Amino acid sequence: MGDPAVTGARSPGGGRSGPRRNGGGSGRNGGRGWLFLLPAVAVYLAFTVYPAVSTLQFSFLEWDGVAPPAWAGLDNFVRVAAEPMLGRAVLNALVLIVFFTVLPILLGLLMTALLAGGVRRGTAFYRVVFFLPQVLPLVVVGTTWRWMYSDDGMVNQALGAAGLDHLGRAWLGDERFALAALGVVGTWLMSGLCMMLFMSGAQRVDPALHEAAAIDGAGPARRFLSVVLPGLRKEIGIAGVITTIAALASFDLVFVTTNGGPAGATNVPGLLVYRLAFNEGDIGAAGALAVVLTVLVVVFVGGIRLLVREDA
Amino acid sequence: MLSTSVREDDVPDTVSTAITGEPVTLRLAYTDDPPTEALVDGFTRRHPNVAVELERTQFSDYVKTVKLSMSSDEPPDIAQYNTGAMNSLVPAGLILNLDKHAAAYGWEEAFPSSAMDPLRSDPDAERFGSGSLYAVPGSLSVLGVFYNKDILAEAGVEGPPRTLGGFEDALERVHAEGTTPIGNGALEVGGFQIWNALLNVVGEEQDYRDWVYGAPGATIGTGAAEEAAATLTRWVERGYLSEGANATSDIDAQADFAAGGSAFLITGNWAAAALSEEMGGDVGFFLMPGPDGAVPVASGSSVSYAVSSQSDHPDVAAAFLDYLGSPEAARIQAESGFMPVDPEAAGGRGGVMGEINAGFARVIEEEGLVPFPDYATPGMLDQLTPGVQGLIAGVTTEEEFLRSLQEEWEGDHG
Repeated sequence: MGDPAVTGARSPGGGRSGPRRNGGGSGRNGGRGWLFLLPAVAVYLAFTVYPAVSTLQFSFLEWDGVAPPAWAGLDNFVRVAAEPMLGRAVLNALVLIVFFTVLPILLGLLMTALLAGGVRRGTAFYRVVFFLPQVLPLVVVGTTWRWMYSDDGMVNQALGAAGLDHLGRAWLGDERFALAALGVVGTWLMSGLCMMLFMSGAQRVDPALHEAAAIDGAGPARRFLSVVLPGLRKEIGIAGVITTIAALASFDLVFVTTNGGPAGATNVPGLLVYRLAFNEGDIGAAGALAVVLTVLVVVFVGGIRLLVREDA
Repeated sequence: MLSTSVREDDVPDTVSTAITGEPVTLRLAYTDDPPTEALVDGFTRRHPNVAVELERTQFSDYVKTVKLSMSSDEPPDIAQYNTGAMNSLVPAGLILNLDKHAAAYGWEEAFPSSAMDPLRSDPDAERFGSGSLYAVPGSLSVLGVFYNKDILAEAGVEGPPRTLGGFEDALERVHAEGTTPIGNGALEVGGFQIWNALLNVVGEEQDYRDWVYGAPGATIGTGAAEEAAATLTRWVERGYLSEGANATSDIDAQADFAAGGSAFLITGNWAAAALSEEMGGDVGFFLMPGPDGAVPVASGSSVSYAVSSQSDHPDVAAAFLDYLGSPEAARIQAESGFMPVDPEAAGGRGGVMGEINAGFARVIEEEGLVPFPDYATPGMLDQLTPGVQGLIAGVTTEEEFLRSLQEEWEGDHG
C-alpha cells in the first residue's frame, strides 16, 4: 500500500521533462494522496474550522446557549463596539505586544548571540533553562508568579535585600504596575521560544561566511550583526507572528493571575469573551467579540509578514 | 447544535408523595461535595429501591456543563441549582415547577422561607424571590466575621464586638498594636463581601431584596449602599485592610489569617472547618454587627437541588428534595460543615461551629437571610470584584462603583 503515492512523489526524477511536483502528482494519484491527508484534515475541520465557523454564526444570533436562538443581525457587533471595557482591553493587549513580542525577540537575539558562537560547554544546559518556561503549564506559571509578586513574595524580598524596600509593593495589586508585571511574565515565557527559533536559524548560516568575516577583521559583535542577523529574517518573522498572537489572544495567564484586576487594569479581550459566554450566557456577543479579536489578530499578523518579506 | 424547540411543559399533571417500590435509578448532577454525597447516601438508605448515579463537575465548569446536560435529550433527573444556569434553563421549561410538590409535602413549614425565596422566580427567570418554586435547599451558608481570640486579647478587645462602632473600635486597637486588622482576598470575592456584610447591616433589608431579586425600579444607588462603600474606603485609608489585598486570592487570605497574619477575616461559614482545624480554640465567629446591634441580616446562599421537567421519575426526585428538610438530613448537613436548613437539629455544638450555628439560628429565626449581591445578574460578579478593587486602590469613587452595578442591573432587568 502507498506505492502509487510514493512513485507519484518521485516521478519528477524519472519523468520526461520533470513536471512540477504539485502539478504532476495531482492528476492520476491525487485521490490516493488526499486519502493520506484525511485524518489530519478531519481533525482540523472538526476542531478548528467548524468551531470558527460556528463562532461566526453565533455572532449574528441572540442566544443564551439553551433557549432557541433568534437572528440578531449586527446587533451584537453594535453592542460590543459600545462596550466601555473593550477599548481599555484592546489597549492593554497592544501594550502586551511590547512584552510578549518586542522584548522577547531582542532577548532571544541576545541569547542566540551568546550561545551560538561555536560549541561551548554548557550550551545545552542554558538552552534547556531558557526554554523551560514554554514547557510548564500556564496555570502553574501564573500561580507561581502571583506568589512571587505578592506583598511578601520573592520579588519584594529581593528588592529588600538590595536595600530598595521603599519600591516594594504587591505588584499585581497595584493598578499602575499590574499590566507591566504581567508583561514581564510574558517576556520570561516567550524569550526562550524566540531563542530556540533563532538558534536553529543561526546554525543554518554557512560557516564559510563566519570565516570570511573573521578574516576581514570582524569581531564577534560585528559578525553577529552582519552575518547571523540577516540570516534570521524568517525566524524573526515567525517569532513575531507566534508571540503577537499570544499577546493579543492572551487569556489563561491573565485569568489565573489577576482575572483582569485590579479594577480592570489588566482586562484583555480574551477575558471579556470568556465572561460574556460563560458568566453572562451571552453567546452572541461573545461570538461577535471573538470575531473582532480575530480580525485584529489577522491585521497585525499580516502587517508583520509584510514587514519581514524577503523582497520588501 | 441550534434547537428550534418551544418551551417545554414544566408543570406536572399529578404529584404524589408516595413513591414507587420498584427499583428506580436517578441521575444527579452536582458540583458541591460535601454535602451532596452524604445526603444522597442518607436518602438511598431510607429508600433501598432507589439508586442514584452521581455526576460531579468541578465548580469552574459547572455552569456550562449543567446547562448543556439539562438541555440535552437525556438530562439528569436532579441537578444542583445554579442561578447562572437557571436563568437559561427555567425560561426553556426544562426545570420542573415544584409548586404542587411543595403544597403536597408542606415544604413551606419544613424549610425557612428566607432560604426558599431565592429559589422562586417567574417563568422567564427575570424576577426572583417570588413566583414558582424551582429548587429546594439542601444546606445553607452564611457570611460573617471570623476573629483571632489571641490577637484581640493582646489588643485589649474584650469578646466579639456587638455594634458596628464597637467593631471599628476593635479594628483601631488591633491596628495600633501593629497587627493587620482585616485579612482580605480582593482578587476574588473577599473584597466585595466586606461591602456586602456592611450593606446587610446598614441598609434597608427590603430595598436590598428588591434589588437582588430584580424587582422593577429597584436600585442599588441608595444612601446605605454608599455608606457601606464609604465605610470600606475609610477602613482602607486607615490601613485596616491587609496590604496587597487586590492581588490576594481568598484561599491565600484565609491561610494568612489561620497563621495569625490578621485579626479578622470576613467570609462565610465554609471556611470554618479548615480554620478550626488549624487554629483550634483560637478562632471565633460573629455576624457583622449593625450600628445599634439590632436584628441580624446576613447574606448567605444554599446548596440546592432542582428537578428536570423531562425526568421519568419526578415524584422520586421530589422525595429526595423532601428528605433534605428532615432532621436526619439536618444532622448530615451540619456534620458536613454547612448550616442545616433546620438550625435546631444541629444545636449543642461547641467551638467555632457552635458560634456560627448560634448566629445563624438567629438569622433564620428572623428570616434575615438574604442572597449575595452577585445573585442579582449573571454578570454582576464581573462588576463587583473590579469595582471593589477600584475602591481599595482609590481609583474608583463610591458613586462610580454603585453606578457600574446599577448599569449591569439595568442591562438585565431594565
